Amino acid sequence: MRAAIWAEVVKLAFSTVGRVGSAAIVVGISVLSGSLLLAAATTHDPQLLAKLGPVAAGDWQGFLLGAAQVSGAGGLGGSAVVLAWMFGREFGDGTISGLFALPVRRSTIALAKLTVYLMWAVVMSVLLAIALAVVGTIAGLGQIDAHTWVMLERQWALGVMSAAITLPVAWAATLSRSVLGGVSVAIGLVIVAQVSVLAGLGGWMPLAAPALWAISLGTAVSPVQLALLIPFGAVFTTLTALSWRRMQLDR
Amino acid sequence: MTAALAVERASRAFKNGAGIFDISLELKPGQIVALVGLNGAGKSTLMRVMLGMLRVQSGEVLLNGHPLASAPLTDWAKVGHLVEYPLAYPELTARRNLELSARLRGVSDIAGAVDRVLAEFALEQYATRRVRALSLGNRQRVGVAAALQHDPAVIVLDEPTNALDPAGVIRLRESLLRRAGDGAAVLVSSHHLDEVARIADRIVVMNRGRLIDDLDPAIPEIERAFFEIVRRDDEKANR
Repeated sequence: MRAAIWAEVVKLAFSTVGRVGSAAIVVGISVLSGSLLLAAATTHDPQLLAKLGPVAAGDWQGFLLGAAQVSGAGGLGGSAVVLAWMFGREFGDGTISGLFALPVRRSTIALAKLTVYLMWAVVMSVLLAIALAVVGTIAGLGQIDAHTWVMLERQWALGVMSAAITLPVAWAATLSRSVLGGVSVAIGLVIVAQVSVLAGLGGWMPLAAPALWAISLGTAVSPVQLALLIPFGAVFTTLTALSWRRMQLDR
Repeated sequence: MTAALAVERASRAFKNGAGIFDISLELKPGQIVALVGLNGAGKSTLMRVMLGMLRVQSGEVLLNGHPLASAPLTDWAKVGHLVEYPLAYPELTARRNLELSARLRGVSDIAGAVDRVLAEFALEQYATRRVRALSLGNRQRVGVAAALQHDPAVIVLDEPTNALDPAGVIRLRESLLRRAGDGAAVLVSSHHLDEVARIADRIVVMNRGRLIDDLDPAIPEIERAFFEIVRRDDEKANR
């Protein structure tokens, strides 16, 4: 397992997709959230202020709620693209044939990919929380109090949970044997999450629960509903590992 | 002597009718077997079957006497292969790719193994270049080096001379002869009959998914003999 994890870390660290995906999540979301804050501070247009929602308050809570909304969809999409690439690129680059006939099982390689992906998501979420704290401080939102720390921790958790709900993308990229197949499913996940919120499924839908939880300051989603992410992730992890184990290069 | 890798009456057909049919082949330690055939003859399919990339519908493939599905990981650690695409990631340097491959194969002295194989295939000057910046031939050299650097006991190479320049072909030839001399069992496919005739102990002709005959590596005008065997087989099939 250690060799497979090392290999996946190296591949992700030196890849353009890994670098661009990391920058898009950390820099992109924090710059976008800062821009919303700037727009709220400089406009007197009531319609625009209404569209900015909680960010219009011009405080830490409004700023971080805005960031949670942005990362609920954007962060999920960015993470999913990285995951789709980690699995789909082996087929696109033809390197999959080299991953057969090794003393490392293919299911182990798949689990190593998922482990590295989740490790990457944890690190990106920490960096994003730090970047948001820096942007808010530069924007003059004042000192970070205990409530703001809790919100930053929630933002970090949102990033990690958003990565967890993208796990079907790994399975889709494996079955379709392409990055594009995984990305298509990622887009589908974002749409399903949005529709399920509108349909009132809310916290019971694992795809929507993390963002709802963060945006509602933890009130709209119960711990039991959040815990559903565990079996959700476990099912798709198992399906992906089994697909790699049973894989044949027959197409 | 147990064959290092053996195929016993193996068949694997695709929906379009292509595939391999009732094939038996043994790779013995110290022996170089060359697999020759026209495009679409089934050479790559046979190699995929022998490496577990495709499962057989009937028959069996044995690695050191173990069915592939239950072969110990220690046996897989002694297999080196290159089928169709080299295990070379474009974003990594040649050296990093070789390190990656060595780690996955459980090599203990990774730096030593990588240095040796870089020298063996004259890749030192390209060691710090990303594979995406290498020529097709040098990318193939990296793939061949990745397949051989752990001194495998079983070597399966599908058209390894593709894109190699004459110097690369000679290095590969010498490498395979040395490794077979050290006891490795080698299977290599190629379209270059003169080339394989120089190294092979046995040349097996494949046509329409079947092993149809052997060619004597010492025979003069080996290409003529090859085409005659294939022609006879095609005529038999069309009758």
